[in-house]
Amino acid sequence: MHIYEVLRRPVITEKNTDLMDRNKFVFETEKKATKAQIKAAVEKVFGVTVVSVNVITVPRRPRGYGRLRGHRPAWKKAIVTLKPGDKIEVFEGV
Amino acid sequence: MKVTSERLEGCLVALTVEIEPEEMEKAQEGAYRRLIKKVDVPGFRKGKAPRALLELHVGKISFDAEALDRLVPELYDQAIEQEKVEAIGQPDLEMTQADPPIFKATVPVRPEVELGDYHSIRVTKDKVEITDENVEQGIENLRQMQAIYEPVEREADINDMVTIDAEGIVEEKTVLDSKGGQYRISENSVVPVARFAEQLQGMKAGDQKEFTLPFPEDHESEELAGKDCLFKVSMSDVKEEKLPEVDDEFAKSMGQGIETVEQLKERLRENITTAAERDSRAKLENEVIDAVAAMSKVEFPAIFTEQEIDRLGNEQMMRLGGIQVQDFLKYRGITEEDFRNELRPAAEKRVMSSLILNKVHDAENVEVSGAEIDSEIEKIVEDAGEEQAEAVKKMFETADARESISGRLLTEKTINLLIDIATTDEAAPVEEAALEQEVAEEVTQEEDQSEQSPNEEDSE
Repeated sequence: MHIYEVLRRPVITEKNTDLMDRNKFVFETEKKATKAQIKAAVEKVFGVTVVSVNVITVPRRPRGYGRLRGHRPAWKKAIVTLKPGDKIEVFEGV
Repeated sequence: MKVTSERLEGCLVALTVEIEPEEMEKAQEGAYRRLIKKVDVPGFRKGKAPRALLELHVGKISFDAEALDRLVPELYDQAIEQEKVEAIGQPDLEMTQADPPIFKATVPVRPEVELGDYHSIRVTKDKVEITDENVEQGIENLRQMQAIYEPVEREADINDMVTIDAEGIVEEKTVLDSKGGQYRISENSVVPVARFAEQLQGMKAGDQKEFTLPFPEDHESEELAGKDCLFKVSMSDVKEEKLPEVDDEFAKSMGQGIETVEQLKERLRENITTAAERDSRAKLENEVIDAVAAMSKVEFPAIFTEQEIDRLGNEQMMRLGGIQVQDFLKYRGITEEDFRNELRPAAEKRVMSSLILNKVHDAENVEVSGAEIDSEIEKIVEDAGEEQAEAVKKMFETADARESISGRLLTEKTINLLIDIATTDEAAPVEEAALEQEVAEEVTQEEDQSEQSPNEEDSE
């Protein structure tokens, strides 16, 4: 897996905005990515130092009823804690 | 806020306002607070998204627009105050620059009226003279109104009423087609064209005739003006006009408590006199106002004219029985634009004279007292008759109604004052000097004429 394929997008929500005060930034990542890969990717892409990475696999959620039964896919969420003072530009101004 | 103001043609003031960053910031903060309650930003509950994200979400341009929506009118008010601009209408607001934000407001201001020396205006009142002939003419008109037409077996002549089928053809096209129309053969009639009536003289019931007559050069329809028209007329009936005798019975038929011919004549003379006096008064009023207008400098914003055009248009529609403007325009076959242009000169004149009159009553301290308004209302109530008195009285109890009567009285008084000034004799010599500036030629012409005219003798 290429390093640039690891990070999908930043996840900006009300909750995650509050996390930023504690230097934690949240991404959606490739599902098969490991903590080590995520750490490397964030450090490479944003030029920051990552202190720790927590990941959660968000389970798929059923959507629809009757004949139209389906689900939202599962995805992997990574909460990346940066070294104090480091920032990620994509979240800038948030 | 940095403001520069500039005076423009047509009573307009242009204000250029530059918005300071702090003001903009404050306005944006306000916009955020308003928007956050309405806008859904994904990932956030309503009202919880941070400002930077909201700005990103709705877009910088619409976010700023929201901010300016409130800020610009506010700053405009401040600017008006600061520059001491007496605005009398809504401004045209326009953003001219985004960063730093600058907007331009163009606003109409109070009209400027600079009166000429209206004390020097002199006009002469037309003498109202009612001759016996006028009265006779009036009686003649009344007789004709009561005329009875009796069929006769002879050639049609002047003052006969004939029944005709008429067809008018211009260049192979039928322009007139009337069957069984009643036509009164009167001398010098120009209906439908001059000398038409003449052609009918000498025809008998059952006769047919074809003749060609030209339409006048100044006929209102361009298609017809100056063209020859072939008329085919067939007469089916000739009736003679029988006028009632002028006697007491005729007088009585007029009603209004008239018993004798003498009384009728008396009444007619009165009516004609009042009408003539009213006409001459109206003419006098016009002359005076025109004269003041000619010597005054008046500048007023275009919006005045436009509003007056609206009013004139509405009045016209009312007179035509409250029809819709669209129907009227369709009937006339013109656009609203044309119609407005048509009304514009009259509107301008009305605005002008009302401005002048306002200025004059300011200058002359013309005032209307409450008592005068009361007595005017009483008069109206009286005219309304007993049955309606209560209702009418009520109608005039509102402040608005009193205001409008007061306005009317004020205008009336002012005009009267102007006429008084203009008809006093003592300062007569000033007349020529003052009027010479404006109507120099007319004055000299009048003078030349008056030396020989018999009127001169009358007045001395």
